[in-house]
Amino acid sequence: MNFRLGWRNIWRNPRRTLVIMSAVIIGIWSMIFLGALMRGITDQMVRNGIATLTGHIQVHHKDYRNDPVIENSITEPEAVEATLNDILPPGSRWTPRVRVNAIASNARHSSGITLVGVEPRREDKISFVAQAITQGRFLKPVDKNGIVVGKALADKFETKLGRKLVLMSQDTKREIASRAFRIVGIFRAEMEATEKQFVFITMSAAQQMLELKKGISEISIILSDYQEVDQVTVALRTALSATDYEVQSWQELLPMVTAILKMYDGFIFLWFLVVFIAMGFGLVNTTLMAVFERIREFGLLKALGMKPWWIIKGVLIESFFLLILGMAIGNSLGFLSIFVLPSTGIDLSSLAEGMEFAGMSRVIFPIIESKDVITANLVVFVLGLLVSVYPAVKAARFTPVEAMAHT
Amino acid sequence: MKKKAIVALVLLLSGSVVLCADTDAQDAHNLVEAAVNYYRGKASIATVDMTIHRPGWERTMTMKAWTKGQKDSIFIIIAPPKDRGNGTLKRGQEMWIYNPKVNRVIKLPPSMMSQAWMGSDFSNNDLAKSDSIIADYTHKITENETHDGKKVYVVKSMPKPEAPVVWGMQKLRIREDHVFLSQAFYDEDFELVKIMTGHHIQMLGGKLFPKVWKMQKADVKDEYTLLNYKELAFKQDLPDRLFTLSSLKASRR
Repeated sequence: MNFRLGWRNIWRNPRRTLVIMSAVIIGIWSMIFLGALMRGITDQMVRNGIATLTGHIQVHHKDYRNDPVIENSITEPEAVEATLNDILPPGSRWTPRVRVNAIASNARHSSGITLVGVEPRREDKISFVAQAITQGRFLKPVDKNGIVVGKALADKFETKLGRKLVLMSQDTKREIASRAFRIVGIFRAEMEATEKQFVFITMSAAQQMLELKKGISEISIILSDYQEVDQVTVALRTALSATDYEVQSWQELLPMVTAILKMYDGFIFLWFLVVFIAMGFGLVNTTLMAVFERIREFGLLKALGMKPWWIIKGVLIESFFLLILGMAIGNSLGFLSIFVLPSTGIDLSSLAEGMEFAGMSRVIFPIIESKDVITANLVVFVLGLLVSVYPAVKAARFTPVEAMAHT
Repeated sequence: MKKKAIVALVLLLSGSVVLCADTDAQDAHNLVEAAVNYYRGKASIATVDMTIHRPGWERTMTMKAWTKGQKDSIFIIIAPPKDRGNGTLKRGQEMWIYNPKVNRVIKLPPSMMSQAWMGSDFSNNDLAKSDSIIADYTHKITENETHDGKKVYVVKSMPKPEAPVVWGMQKLRIREDHVFLSQAFYDEDFELVKIMTGHHIQMLGGKLFPKVWKMQKADVKDEYTLLNYKELAFKQDLPDRLFTLSSLKASRR
């Protein structure tokens, strides 16, 4: 009875109802759509971070993170490798790397880069680079002088496949080590900064050039299930002595990304609130208007013996219908607009330079998280009903005398 | 007198190598090595004006340079007063610079090796790897020219496949009496990157020597660096203590 009454009441003035409903629809839609976009951005950021040579967990010499110089290398990797084989859950992959700062130069240009010595066979299952080769090929274990560089670096150096690049760095004896390499492959990365920063050579070449013998700079580990990261990190930490090694998960290795993730969580909730406040005022306004229009009606009901509580219930039911309808349409519009987005995502390459500072990628794929959808709907529904209490109470307070006097 | 005799002997010996030179690579190599040894001498002391010319400005400083063999050298700036005492020490492939204002010796890290040396058109690498022309290249005499009535060999030097050099090719012009006329640096497309030329060949320190050297980048006009030898003396030997960090620091004399 109440529900039928409420339903009929909201359609007594269809235009007004449609206007406020569209406010709810747009509010919900923007919450869901923008929420999904932001989740897409952060998800890509984490993926980029992990694929850009971070991995889920890394093991370093204990001072390497503070001072990434060649002296802070793991000189006896065998011990660590044995521990890894014992502890890592099945399905995990890991690879050692040599990573030092170096200078690349050719006849016309020179620039600081990060030299990464990799084991080609193992690296291609762990980081992005083997899959990202667009010209030439990735390194082979026998490539004594092969080097893989990023597209942006190759452009900056005005060089191409087959050309020479001389790398210079400091070796373990603190002398200048330099060696000539030939470009065998060019890779593209999500971010131009990555393309400019990293050059890849084989691990044996790096160890020879830097006189490292069998020393390595880091071990990067990818687990089959990333939810195990914390647990495995702790296990590794206890197994490897803290006086020699440092074990860190990606959350610690990429503090910036972790911080941004947290910020976005807060940001999304704030965004929900802002949207709601705008919407809430509209809702209160409309309901209040509908109530004032019907002062005589409410007065009459009161005179006939209607209890105030029932009037409140009646007005709230009207708001309930408005909200439910708006939410239903808003949600479906939100999901629809996410699904009809081309599978290629939203291409922001034209803005790429500006976005890169935070490690965002060129293409955004929106991601729907149930957490966000539930929060959005709950916020709108609960707070929506809550603000409608004010006009409802107002309606319940009219006395029959007041109402009759009102023309 | 004895010195002159030795110089003459060296000239005679190396000259004889050149005389029977054909385009054989070994002879080209000998020619280049002889030319490098000729201009470096066993040891030398020189006073040089370095002029850095740019479209908007020009700056000249005077420095004293000691060299010994192919590996060791030390440069100290003596004028203008603002720069006085700044020095560069090179031993082998390593370099240190000293700045008297902060009283600090800095060993040049790899990152600075390709930067300009004291703002000139020479890079630190040009100095540190000055003997790389002998060690890292294979040479071939490609043409003969004449200059001042003397025969000039044009030597094409290609880097050895694994040599850590950035150049794609160097072209040297060496006169038959082992005077360097020019050294041109090419990239891997064989396009000229920069060229060093010698001018005003005259008797200096007892041998014919280009008094003025000019280093010029190929793709910018009106930018060059001039080295003008005001005094030059070749020695048999110089004490090792000259090429040490303490001597670099003690240079404010």
